[in-house]
Amino acid sequence: MPPISDEDLILYYYDDGLDPAERAAIAGALSGSPELRARLAALEAVLAAADAAPPPTPDPGLRDRLWLRLEPQLRAEAVPARHPPRAARRTHSAARPRRLAAWSAAALLALAVGVGFIAGRHSAPEVDAQVQARADAAALRVLEAYVAAHLRSTEGVLLTAGNGGEAGMLDGNRALAASLVESNRLYARAAERAGDAALADFLRRLEPVLLSLANQTPAATVESDEGLRDYLRETDLLFQVRALQTRLDHSRVQRL
Amino acid sequence: MADDEAARLERAVQGDTQAFRQLIDAHVDRLYRVCVRVAGDAGLAEDALQEAFLNAYRHLGTFDGRSAFSTWLHRIAVNAALEQLRRRSRHEVLQSDSDEDDVLAVSEAAPGPERHAASAQIGRGIQAVLARMSATERTAFVLRHHEGQSLEDISATLSLNVNACKQAIFRAVRKLRAAIEPAG
Repeated sequence: MPPISDEDLILYYYDDGLDPAERAAIAGALSGSPELRARLAALEAVLAAADAAPPPTPDPGLRDRLWLRLEPQLRAEAVPARHPPRAARRTHSAARPRRLAAWSAAALLALAVGVGFIAGRHSAPEVDAQVQARADAAALRVLEAYVAAHLRSTEGVLLTAGNGGEAGMLDGNRALAASLVESNRLYARAAERAGDAALADFLRRLEPVLLSLANQTPAATVESDEGLRDYLRETDLLFQVRALQTRLDHSRVQRL
Repeated sequence: MADDEAARLERAVQGDTQAFRQLIDAHVDRLYRVCVRVAGDAGLAEDALQEAFLNAYRHLGTFDGRSAFSTWLHRIAVNAALEQLRRRSRHEVLQSDSDEDDVLAVSEAAPGPERHAASAQIGRGIQAVLARMSATERTAFVLRHHEGQSLEDISATLSLNVNACKQAIFRAVRKLRAAIEPAG
């Protein structure tokens, strides 16, 4: 058996993620090595320290407080209907036709938002301010809906890249990433025109990641795959993409 | 599933909100604990619970009994806590280093009568380290370490494969270790 790593010891401690042979090999090595036992003891001390904080306990009023807020919402709900199990998730191939249209949708949207905002800013003084504000809000709502959908596709690409997988799936993922690059650029421009600098900035930071994913060769090395996964982990990019989706969805609902 | 739980579930599906309250009451403490640990904040945890229970009520009809009701509810609550974090993430202010420094200070402190206070100090420090982890690392660690969930269940909750889930836990433990063990 190769040298026993700290990661092996963590799995050994939790008794999870090791097959019986690996577990038996670690147990055997532990019985014959004081140095390895000391490493396991050090790990146990670290994990025991994680229990030093007392478990969070709810205050006595939590249940009533929750119910007070919850009950009117439940009453407003229809009786929870029985549903068949949720249909299987959409596959890459099923989603492809919609994604092939992504660029053209982005282009049209960027044009529409751009024209809308620019026209608004340069319109004659007789244009009523309230009408203009409503038009701006409508344009923003449309932009947010499109960008949220774009981010959902991007999330799928990042998830697939982060999880790795078989060659066929990764090929599809590369093609999908490539299809998202140009629309990403157009949405960034549209967001800038709409005055949402934070959104524009985030989308610009997303572009090199999509480009890297699109340009990975099928024979990409294990190291380059790992490098990409490390980057995704270190930046927590997937989480940020989901957070932004949530913000856009929330903001769109508020604007309705 | 216990008979009384099954009966309450049936009544709740028919729209009996009191039966639903009885169903969820038994799980509030445990779900609150996991939500606080995942979200790192009592207020967010309470909002997450509220949302989780509403979601659970809306989807009671889809609960097919293949997993325990408690498992189903637990997964909804963890996802609601993650959702709260996502909503807040753009406004998140990082904590200062002072709590994390507590861990380092205490790890070198002599044992003695201050031990109890030192333990509380370590606890605060650990919370600071957990707060600095990514949401994925913290959630994977909390679910494995505190909730005793299997890697397979955690990967299903977080939509990760098992290997990515292991890596998240390894990174979380490395971060804890770096804060707890004196350098060198």
